[in-house]
Amino acid sequence: MDLGDFRNKAAIVGVGYTKEQGTVPGRSALSFAQEAAKAAIEDAGLKKDDIDGLLIQPTIGQQSYSVAAKLGLNNLKLLANEDVMGATAPCITAHAMFAVVTGQANYVLCLYGTASKSGSFSGMMMGGGGAMPPGPAYGVFGANMEYGLAARRAMYEYNTGPETWAEIAMSQRKWANLNPRATFYDRPMSKEDYLAEPWVAEPFRRADCCLVSDGGRAYIVTSAERAKDLKEPPVYIAGVGQSHHTPDIEQSHHMTGPTGAKASGEMALKMADIKLSDIDACEIYDCFTYTVEVTMQSYGFFQPGEGYDFFKDGRTGPGGEFPVNTSGGLLSEVYYMGFTPLTEGVMQLRGQCGERQVENLNHILVSGNGGILQTHGTVILRRQQ
Amino acid sequence: MMRNQEMGKPLPGISEENKPFWDYMKQHEFRVQKCLGCGKLFYPPSMMCPHCQYMESEWVKLSGKAKVYSFIIVHQARHPAFAKEVPYVVAIIETEEGIRYTTNIIGCKPEEVYVDMPVDIVYEDVNDKRTLPKFKPVS
Repeated sequence: MDLGDFRNKAAIVGVGYTKEQGTVPGRSALSFAQEAAKAAIEDAGLKKDDIDGLLIQPTIGQQSYSVAAKLGLNNLKLLANEDVMGATAPCITAHAMFAVVTGQANYVLCLYGTASKSGSFSGMMMGGGGAMPPGPAYGVFGANMEYGLAARRAMYEYNTGPETWAEIAMSQRKWANLNPRATFYDRPMSKEDYLAEPWVAEPFRRADCCLVSDGGRAYIVTSAERAKDLKEPPVYIAGVGQSHHTPDIEQSHHMTGPTGAKASGEMALKMADIKLSDIDACEIYDCFTYTVEVTMQSYGFFQPGEGYDFFKDGRTGPGGEFPVNTSGGLLSEVYYMGFTPLTEGVMQLRGQCGERQVENLNHILVSGNGGILQTHGTVILRRQQ
Repeated sequence: MMRNQEMGKPLPGISEENKPFWDYMKQHEFRVQKCLGCGKLFYPPSMMCPHCQYMESEWVKLSGKAKVYSFIIVHQARHPAFAKEVPYVVAIIETEEGIRYTTNIIGCKPEEVYVDMPVDIVYEDVNDKRTLPKFKPVS
């Protein structure tokens, strides 16, 4: 048996949004997860009791079985917390795919809910147990500083920097300006606006960093056969891949690429039996502008130092030659880890994205990236089976 | 030397693995583990060599000479103890022996720091129990 045997054998058939997203005080992470789960089940045209698999990306303290209990899911054949941070959505999609194709489960709900913006947020990059790492003694707090170190090193090794990242940030903002759900829907951003943004961890300005958001997102994976009988057009899982370079940033030898995107992308393309040039658009995990550059560079869309030419003049924005992060992404839509890019990829291939809809799409490459460039997952979504 | 600006900052936790590192640091010695299996140096402290998985090592002294591998300038204090220090420099340094360490570059203006800048270790005694290694430009 080969990974290629799973090509187009599973599909994503339901997507669930929370009605409100962004800044939504007074609600728990669990309540957003519940709302998104219900919306995904309705969107698929299923009933609660059809769901026999649940994979969650937990927020701090969440357990899959208690989330299942609070969703009233009592007949599960697959249940797990899975967490590789920003790479989780592509990785659980692969897990769900194997489960539905092999018959372990029929309908697997993939779920994330968070109250990171307004709820109690226990600093996700602070180590998570064990002895306090040395970083905070030196004023190192949070992913923006650690990704900033990677980005600065890239500026030293090849031609990149704020000129390139401004192009990425502006194009994504233009997509967000077409997406009524987006946090920055009514906030355009010019080059001058970008340059006027305050430094956070120089070379990163605020506009280089993702949002922090409340809300949730869910989707359902089933077999290609079952998918045909459901309400909305299925979006097939053509390829999946993973590659995890685990050392932390201090010891990293891949902070300027190639990241796990390279091997992960090659695996997913091989499974899908297509070439990189067959990809029509990308939904790239964009915790930072630099992450978009180093990820797409590692996938092989351009050579190191050629990012500016790839992203300039709105080439990846609305109406551009190669659409990237069409919802506005984590920078300008909303931050639900890898669930933001993955669900946007599904909705684009369903053709249900309103003003921001891209025409003539067949393959969308979705990436997830977690830790400080330490985990990576890829999913290639496909419209036609 | 007690430095007032260190007051209130989080201190690195002591674990079974890293206790020797911080004990040597108190004596103003920058030591890391050398694997007795493959002979390679490694950091952060661990019971197991990440190169060959051998479980025995010795602590060897480094020269304290290093270069800046990468750096950022932090403009927004994310902890009250750093409010008076912004902008400050966080850097990954690489010692001449090839060990990486995350630290602050002190003794110069943030805008003077660059990748590959030669730096020397400075031992900052936070209190009578703890010393933090930082780095300054080679004079």
